[in-house]
Amino acid sequence: MKVCIVGFGSVGQGVARVMEMKKDELQKEYGLDLELVAALDRSGAAINPEGLDIKQLLVTKKLTGKVSEYPEYGEEGVSGLEVLMDKVEYHCLIEVTPTNIEDGEPALSHILKAMKDGKDVVTSNKGPLALKFKEIAQAARDNGVQFKYEASVGGAMPIINFAHENLSASKIESIYGILNGTTNYILSRMVKEGSSYEQTLNEAQAMGIAETDPTQDVEGEDAACKVVILANSILKMDVTYDDVEVTGISQITPESIALAKKEGYLIKLIGEVSPESLEVSPRLVKEGSPFAVEGTLNVATLKTDLADDVTVVGKGAGSIETASAILSDLISIWKTK
Amino acid sequence: MRLKLVLELLDVPGQLLDALNPIGRLGANIVAVIHQRDVKTERGTIPVQITIEGDKDTLNEVLNLIEETGIGIMEVDGILRKEKITTIMLGNIIDQDLKDTVNQLNKIDGVMVADLDLKMSDHPEKSASRIVIEAEQGRRKEVLTKIKDIGNLKGFLVINEV
Repeated sequence: MKVCIVGFGSVGQGVARVMEMKKDELQKEYGLDLELVAALDRSGAAINPEGLDIKQLLVTKKLTGKVSEYPEYGEEGVSGLEVLMDKVEYHCLIEVTPTNIEDGEPALSHILKAMKDGKDVVTSNKGPLALKFKEIAQAARDNGVQFKYEASVGGAMPIINFAHENLSASKIESIYGILNGTTNYILSRMVKEGSSYEQTLNEAQAMGIAETDPTQDVEGEDAACKVVILANSILKMDVTYDDVEVTGISQITPESIALAKKEGYLIKLIGEVSPESLEVSPRLVKEGSPFAVEGTLNVATLKTDLADDVTVVGKGAGSIETASAILSDLISIWKTK
Repeated sequence: MRLKLVLELLDVPGQLLDALNPIGRLGANIVAVIHQRDVKTERGTIPVQITIEGDKDTLNEVLNLIEETGIGIMEVDGILRKEKITTIMLGNIIDQDLKDTVNQLNKIDGVMVADLDLKMSDHPEKSASRIVIEAEQGRRKEVLTKIKDIGNLKGFLVINEV
């Protein structure tokens, strides 16, 4: 199966790495031979219809920061759409460009273009899903292609395919979860150290857990995107980003954390997905409850009619962890071929 | 039939007797009384477990009479009559008239503020208060929404339970 990776940042490189790591196993277990025919980043592309050498590609990216420096097959300045248009023959698009929650671009155009051409799509990109879920799902149906996005919510924590497949007998009534690892790290540290929000954010930034511009994480925007994806995908609602009531964690003080703790509670940024309410806000959770996870972990409890409550926990971010979800999506697409 | 009750008594002499009186008077039997003065509720009252025996009508009458005398029934056969809701409000608690906030909460039907804890910050607008509310069973969602409305009106960040 020939694949293109569009976006070669942390997640894109992770996907390439796991493709290389699992090469033999994929062949042996599933008879799946994944061939990377194109990789793109801001600089341009590396394209080889016979398959790129992944080790070489990763080294080139590491040394020069550009995939377009790939020997012989590098092309400077070409855009994602140009490549998907006519430059290379492929079966599945892996869309992992950075999330843009203003208009979902360029990912939205990449995804729709690939689908129109009859290609399957796997993505971790929340922007297009949070803004145009219905349109993309319709395009996938119209063109008879598969669309998988497990990695867009909770990184390695299984939730979307898990709900669709393992819980398919039950109706899922609501989902509550910690859907952002950065804020969970900050809040956990504030509990442990009694430190202020600003101090803890600085520490998280120094450790590379929070980004230089942490707005998407700390103001709850990232979690809100995930709430929208879960609402549309699992609860079959028809909602978009603006339907979510969002409050972040930047107002949380050490005093409030201390007060909560005195009564056996922790403060966590919780995403709520239910037909009555779509919300991201700081909430009180009981110490010792399933929501009392620390560090960058994500957790989600699905309330169902038959199976009662089901809770999943896992690493919400990380290059290899997120890539693992993308690789699983690729395998499940392959299995239907 | 038997009924297990948890009553809520004030920590003053004579309360237990007041609670037990109507039971005998109406013809119900007292099977057991567990009274530990060192276990207290949020509001400093003492929960007393009482098991009574009698026919259904008599037991119902007993429940009514106990409530009429002003003694709270917390649990009937393991089912809570009231539930505890904890919430944290962040903001300029004092400037926004703390008494008024509590009054507004108490005005919600079937709701009573049971405990209040304040933590002042160097910046008054960042003060925090933890409020524990007792509400009639089954009204959690409605009460949480009302708490949020009151908080929003006063410009507080309200942190409710999940």
